[in-house]
Amino acid sequence: MSIEEQKSQINGISLILIAVILFPFAFLLMLSLGRRWAYPMLLPAEWTLDNWQAIWGGQAGLGESLLLSLALSLSIATIATAGSFWVSKQVAYHRNRQRWLVLAYLPYVFAPVILAACLQYFFIRWGLSGKLGGVAIAQLFITFPYGLIFFTSFWTERMLSLEQLIATLGGNTWQAYTKVLLPVAKGPILTCFFQLFLISWFEYGLTALIGVGKVQTLTLKVFQYINEANLFFAALASCLLVMPPIVLLWLNRRYVFSKVI
Amino acid sequence: MFLEAKNINKGFGAEKVLDDLSLQLAEHEMLSILGRSGSGKTTLLKILAGLESPDKGMVLLQGQDMGPLPPNRRNIVYLYQEPLLFPHLNVFENIAFGLRLRKAPEGAVQKRVAEMLANLELPEQARKMPHQLSGGQRQRVAFGRALIINPKVLLLDEPFGALDAETRASMQQLLKRIAKAFAITALFVTHGLKEALIMGDRIGLMQQGELKVYDSKKAFIEDVETGVQAEMDFWREIE
Repeated sequence: MSIEEQKSQINGISLILIAVILFPFAFLLMLSLGRRWAYPMLLPAEWTLDNWQAIWGGQAGLGESLLLSLALSLSIATIATAGSFWVSKQVAYHRNRQRWLVLAYLPYVFAPVILAACLQYFFIRWGLSGKLGGVAIAQLFITFPYGLIFFTSFWTERMLSLEQLIATLGGNTWQAYTKVLLPVAKGPILTCFFQLFLISWFEYGLTALIGVGKVQTLTLKVFQYINEANLFFAALASCLLVMPPIVLLWLNRRYVFSKVI
Repeated sequence: MFLEAKNINKGFGAEKVLDDLSLQLAEHEMLSILGRSGSGKTTLLKILAGLESPDKGMVLLQGQDMGPLPPNRRNIVYLYQEPLLFPHLNVFENIAFGLRLRKAPEGAVQKRVAEMLANLELPEQARKMPHQLSGGQRQRVAFGRALIINPKVLLLDEPFGALDAETRASMQQLLKRIAKAFAITALFVTHGLKEALIMGDRIGLMQQGELKVYDSKKAFIEDVETGVQAEMDFWREIE
């Protein structure tokens, strides 16, 4: 086979792969714009923006869920990233580092839903069940350890030496963080932030259990519409659900991976 | 005496690293400390810099007890074997780092960094990032970054350990020249016999947490414990 033929074969396979990946998204979009789409019709009988107009002002409450999910996930990602960045440093240089890390893995060993079931008693007792604050705390139980594990590998002996060097050059702790540690950690911090945002954004079991259906995030809405067999609204909610991650992926590609030091 | 360490003791768990160690360093003097790995050289330097606390003993700089002072207020710079340049800053900004911490005026920063770059024979590299430099160039930038803030004492922990023989020799000469030009007071730690002889105005030998400082290079060479005699015998046998 010639090089040209090999190239065209690779291009063909790439196109098929791209089509396979993009098809579900295109299908969801089509479903959210369609009406009266019965078997064996290949396409919907009617195209309309009614579903999309229902985001704001409709009784579906999709707009509220979208804003709630955005606020919740952005807050969780910010708090967990900042907190775990600082705490991971204490853990990384602690003599019982391994013990603390084992604790950080526990929420994942037991699975988040089982963790939530175990903690539900305390959430009910403290009046946090069914509250946004309760869901936020529950999500921190899984996002914070993730950040902790993520950042522990950042705090190496080399980082400690850098910090000590800054001190002997006359820098205080604030200067060490603002002038060196944070700029050097910019890439990992943004990556961790995006990953924690995604964990919170797609979280279902924990949110459903602690929120007891009262905290209606977008992910919960999708499952609700699927359970109701409301395919067109489920597709619309799914489109909304995948939009922020796509934006984040684009930002990640543009601003993080290209500039990671 | 300019720098003095008195009866320093330090242990990690059951292991005793420094055993009642004392040393004196005059102003503008460079003391080489020769020692094997694990002899306590790095621990000694870290205690002088304030990065480790001694279990017992005290460090005096110009008669002032350094014990209560944190590392950032001692004006004693500790340089590692690795240059540890800040990866997000170019050569110019790496050298200017200490001046920026002290909020020096921009004009002074530009002037002093340019002078330092010229001294280090690095003016063409000013806008390069650390990963674009050779090992020797990186170490020179690390020296410049330390020297520009006029530290009272420079602590050098095997700074040429990671360099090849040729670069190492040229760096030794460069440091000798800079030390003279800037009237540096320094402790130079190494496990290289030849390097200890080249770099130090005086030489000390560190063994199992104890330091023995020799009055002269001749006394150092004549002491069997330093290994100089064994080295000389080796070369004689080859002849």
